[in-house]
Order: sequence, then C-alpha cells, then structure tokens
Amino acid sequence: MDFSVDDAARERIEALRAFGREHVRPAGLEADREGRPIPVGHAYFDAAMQHGYGRTRWGREDADAGASNTRMALLLAEEFAYWDRGVMIANPGPSLPEQSVIGMGTDEQKERYLGPFVAPDRPRWACFAMTEPGAGSDAAAIQTRARKDGDGWILNGAKCFIGSASRSDWILVQATLDPTKGRAAQRAFFVEQGTPGLGPFKTEKKMGLKAYESASFSLTDVRVPAANLLGGEARYERKAGFKAAMQTFNAGRPVIAANAVGIGRAALDEAIRFAREHDLLGRDRVRDRIEAMARKVRMARLVCLRAGQLADLRRANIQEASMSKALAATVALESASLGLELLGAAGARGDALIEKLYRDAKAMDIVEGTGQIQRMIIARQLVGLPRN
Amino acid sequence: MFDADPGEELALVVETARKFALEALQPHLREAEAARGVEGSVHEDYHAIGLAGLELPEAHGGAGLSSVARALVNEELGAADAGAALALDPLGPALHPALEMGLALEPLAAHGARPGSRVVLATDLDGQVSVGGDRVTAELPYVPADRADAVVVLAGDTCACVIEGIAIEPLRGAGLRAAGGGRLRADGPAVATVCDPAGAARARARIRLYVASLLLGVLRATCAFSRDYAQQREAFGRPIAHHQALAFLITDMKMAVDGARLLVHEAAWRLEAGLPAEAAAASALAQCVEASRTVGPDGVQILGGHGFMADYPVEKHMREARALGLLFGGFDAAVEEAGRRVCGNDAPLGLVESALS
Repeated sequence: MDFSVDDAARERIEALRAFGREHVRPAGLEADREGRPIPVGHAYFDAAMQHGYGRTRWGREDADAGASNTRMALLLAEEFAYWDRGVMIANPGPSLPEQSVIGMGTDEQKERYLGPFVAPDRPRWACFAMTEPGAGSDAAAIQTRARKDGDGWILNGAKCFIGSASRSDWILVQATLDPTKGRAAQRAFFVEQGTPGLGPFKTEKKMGLKAYESASFSLTDVRVPAANLLGGEARYERKAGFKAAMQTFNAGRPVIAANAVGIGRAALDEAIRFAREHDLLGRDRVRDRIEAMARKVRMARLVCLRAGQLADLRRANIQEASMSKALAATVALESASLGLELLGAAGARGDALIEKLYRDAKAMDIVEGTGQIQRMIIARQLVGLPRN
Repeated sequence: MFDADPGEELALVVETARKFALEALQPHLREAEAARGVEGSVHEDYHAIGLAGLELPEAHGGAGLSSVARALVNEELGAADAGAALALDPLGPALHPALEMGLALEPLAAHGARPGSRVVLATDLDGQVSVGGDRVTAELPYVPADRADAVVVLAGDTCACVIEGIAIEPLRGAGLRAAGGGRLRADGPAVATVCDPAGAARARARIRLYVASLLLGVLRATCAFSRDYAQQREAFGRPIAHHQALAFLITDMKMAVDGARLLVHEAAWRLEAGLPAEAAAASALAQCVEASRTVGPDGVQILGGHGFMADYPVEKHMREARALGLLFGGFDAAVEEAGRRVCGNDAPLGLVESALS
C-alpha cells in the first residue's frame, strides 16, 4: 500500500503548475470574460506548443502503452483542470481520437492523420464526433448514416457539442450503416476539414468551460474515400465499430473524473484564500464547509487513482472508472457550491473565480456519460441491472 | 506511486481475519449480542491466531504490525460483528495513547496477553476526564464495555493509566452489545502519566482510525447483505434490485463505502509512513460517519419490513454504525480537528501542496 506521488510525477506536476499559473488560468479567465473560445492564433496556443502540447504520442516508445501510466495521466489531468479545464480541452493535438487511431488505424491512416502531429508546424487540432442531437450518453442510438457508394462512403447526419470541430484538420465521425442494428452497424470515418457537405459549424454558447469550442455541424452527402474508414473494412466485424468508441469512453472516464477533482480543488483553494483574506477561518461554519470540501475532494482523487491503478495493472475497472466519474463530478459541484456560500452575496456578483468554477463544474456530471449513466453501468456489475 | 493494494503479507493477515470473522463471529452475532459478550473459546482462538495485540510491539509479545494492518483487520471483524470485535480486543484503542505517547507498556501488555481481558479508553472527547497530579478521574455516559481491568485516559495532551477505582454501571446500549456497555466512573491513582502533545495528536488519529475501520466493516456488511437480498427478493415480476430506484440506491451505498475506505487506508498509510496524519484520520472517520447516516438506514430500507425485524442483520448494522460513529467525539470532534488543521495558518493553501506530500 502506498499513497505517495513519485518524483517523476511530482516533477511533471510542478512544471504543469508553473505553466498553469502563468498561461492556463489567465487564458481561461479571458475566455470566460469574453464569452467565446480561445481563438485560433491566440498567444496561449504558442505557449502550449512550446510547453509540449499539440503533439501525438504515436511513434514514441509509449505509443502502444495506452493506459500504462494512467495514474500519472490522472494527476496531470487534475492539475491542468485545477488551472482551467476548458483550456485543457482547447489544447491543440489529436486529442480524443488519438487512442482509437493508434489502436485501430491502418499504418497509412496513422501516417496520414497523426503524422502532422509528430512535429507540428503550427497548432493543429483533431476531434471525435459521436454526440448527436438525439443521442448523447446512449451512443448506440446515433442516427448519422454511412452509405457505401462505389469505392467510397456517403455520410449524412448531424453532430453536436463537438470540441474544437471547426478548427480541426480532421474529424473522426461515428456513423451507422443501419440505425436499427445498433452498435454492430457503427463505423468511424475520417472526414477532413473542407470536405464538401461538412458544415456549417455553429459554435455553441455555454454556461461554462468557455475556453474551448463546442461546435454543432451537419454532414450533407459528405463523400469520403474507402481509405477513410477507420481500420479499414477488415476491422469491422461484429461489434468492433462500437467498441472503438466505447474504448475511447472507457479510457476517458477517470480522466474526466480527475478534471473534476481539479475543479473541486481549485474551488477549495479559492474558498480558503477568501476566508483567510476576510479573517473568516475562525468561524465554525466556515471551517466546517472547508473541511467537507477538502475531505470530499481528497476522497474523489483517491477513487480516481484507484481506477487508474487498476487500469495500469490491466485489471477490470469498469465499476471503479464509473464510480470515479459519478463521484468526482458531484464533489466538484458541491465544492464550488460550498465555496460560493463562503463568499456570500459577493459570490453572486459573477466576477469571482469560484463562481466560474461552479458553472464549469456542472459539465463534469454530463460529459462522457452522465452520473445516471455511470450508475447504470455500476448497477449492471453490482446487481445485474438489465440493459432493457 | 499510488497503490491501494495491501501487498501479499498483509493480504494473508486479512484473509486470516476474514476467515475467523466468518466462522467464529458472524454465525453467532445474535447470541453474542444477547449474551453481551463472546464465548471463551472464541477469545482463545482470537489470541491463538495472533489478532490480539496486533499493533503491540513484538518485544511486548504483540505482532508489531502497522496501522494499515489494523485498518484492514478491523474492517473484516467489523463486517461480521463490530461489538464482538471490541469485546475480543483486550487493549483496543486504549493501546494507541500508550504506543504514541510512551506510556509504560508492560502493564498493558500483560492484559493484552490474557484472553478476555479488557482495557478501556476514556477520552475528554466523550465526557469528564481529568489527570491531575497523580490522580485520574473519569466519568463517561457510555463505554462499549461491561467491565474494565484498566482504563487508559487521554485528556488533551496527557495520558494516564488507572487500574483502581473503576466502576462500570451496565447499560442496555444502542448497539455493540456484544462488547457490553455501561456508564464509566473512574477515580484512582495514576499508574503512569505522560504529557506529549504530538503523541496525543497521533494517538487521536489512531483511535479514530480504529473506529473508522470497524465502522467501514459494518457498512460493507450492510451493502453486501442488502444487495444480495435485493437480487433475490422479487416485486412486480423482477428482482427489486432491477428496479432502477433501488439499483441506484445500492450503487450509491457502494460508492460511499468504497470512497470512505480509501480515506481510511490513506490515513493509515500516512501513520505507518510517519507522515502527518491527524487531519487525514479525522477526515476518514468523518466520512465513514457521514456514509453511515445513509448506508445504515438504506440497508434497512432495501429489506423493507424484513429489514426492521431482528431476523436480519441490517437493523443491527444500522444501530451499530450509529453507535460507533458516536465514540471518541464522533463526527463533530473529527470535523473540528480536520477543519482546524486544514484551515490552520501553518497549513498549506488548500490541497495543492498537501496533496503531494
């Protein structure tokens, strides 16, 4: 049993902390104040590139390792979100679809789609498009259609809330050959920016996490060549298409949870700072709230790390991953909410960091499967809750 | 790097405790409750497998194991019968002030080696306790014991042991009846007295962990029993566990217990590693108590009318979880201590730094 953080992780966290303080928090506050995503060309992205973001791990020694050091990744995810979770998502790079491409892509696809991220000449983005207006957590219910057309595919449908979609070089679009056949009929396609029929993109107005772009768009007779089918035809047998998406989600839950821990921790630190500056720490009601925040944030972090440890050991972590997500999201919101109570009416002015954190935190119980979805997943394991 | 697994050696200790708990305690929990104690042969077995004096140094005849071992063993015993666990442990949490503050261990070790012996801990978190000069007085409304061979008193930064002038007036007890229960009065000469602020703080941490880990066991048992019941009991044509309202309730119970467990283990590990652990232990107990407020009653709720009856253990779990959460200052004292340390002027701002220590 060991609850320490090793030197390698500590060093990386310290470096990220310095970057976060200098670049991430200011960029996040600016985006929130102006009510729009960090624009392409913003100096933040140059700083992020200099700090090493925006690159693929494909081709590196740890490319196939996947979750080999999940705990480290979780600690870094927590630290980044501490400074601003929205900015983290706005970062350039192959982001969410990277693992799917590394795991399932053909050699040609890796070269073509991840190659530009090996040593990018400028900030570049890629994204994964699953969510639709009528299909959120129920990923098996997507309606975007893929139809074989000669040596290519025709895509039709609509996607929503897709991070960085309008600025991405390519979008990995999840589509179905037949919506009545559920998961087995799903496929993922690379759709390059500028492909006729892709768009227009609508940048959504959001309650929080404003630093990154959440875009909705349509696909109207978008034609892509056969080579754009992720993994090629041979990969798609039985449920492999859906599995590609679910692998992405499974890898994502503890990371989202760690993000939530970071938000909760930021709220806690802000609450303590406020209480200290206003000489409130001697009051029982203040101390009780801060204690509750600290306790729950710490617990959420440990639950995340436990899910990460199991992933590192290649042990089943379905329950733990979902627990971490369900728990940490709630804790983040509660922490920010308790922190706002310390501020009193000053919290309602709308110019306090902790008020922004309160808005940001709510998303954590929604993205990558709501708390209710997580409970369904856990309950299937715990008591055999039927799917239907 | 973070590793929540106990390791092979501790896993064996846990397995031994689990086997003992399942075979010697769980089948007899109602008899032990009615008899306000466990049978002599169970005491003998408890000693024979080395669970008595688990943390007592080897030089004093104990196993010399760590706080982590204590937390893991207590969870197993608590899952079977928390009252019996208290009855069986001759030194119980009374060992911790002695261990951490350097109180002479010989007299306590002698009790620890004797099956059926009981040393009771009295703290100023529970009632009127004072150590003045060479005299000790204590008056507590409740201790989970019918009798005491000695009383270890922890008052502020001072601890003392008393073996004369001890009287326990038996009470029915809300729970933990297998341990006995009564009102404690002690007024006698101090066998030894030690003042050590740092040691007292660590002692309180270990006392809280002792209670928290027993409580964790009770909550785990509630979760497991009510979950199993919900999978067998049918209503409206399917197991009640397959109604989403109950499925989510069971899920939330499991999350509450698993989360609290990690806090308990982290605090135990910090104690073992010699790191500051007072806030962590207080938080761990507070979280266990907070969890018990819902998990205990929810376990009864899942069984419905059956849960309210003494035919099933969940009503006992509910009572015992609540009783455990009231010992040694319970939730309020734990939150007070953790809050003071988290907010203290010398504490790092929030968790940013402390998270990495």
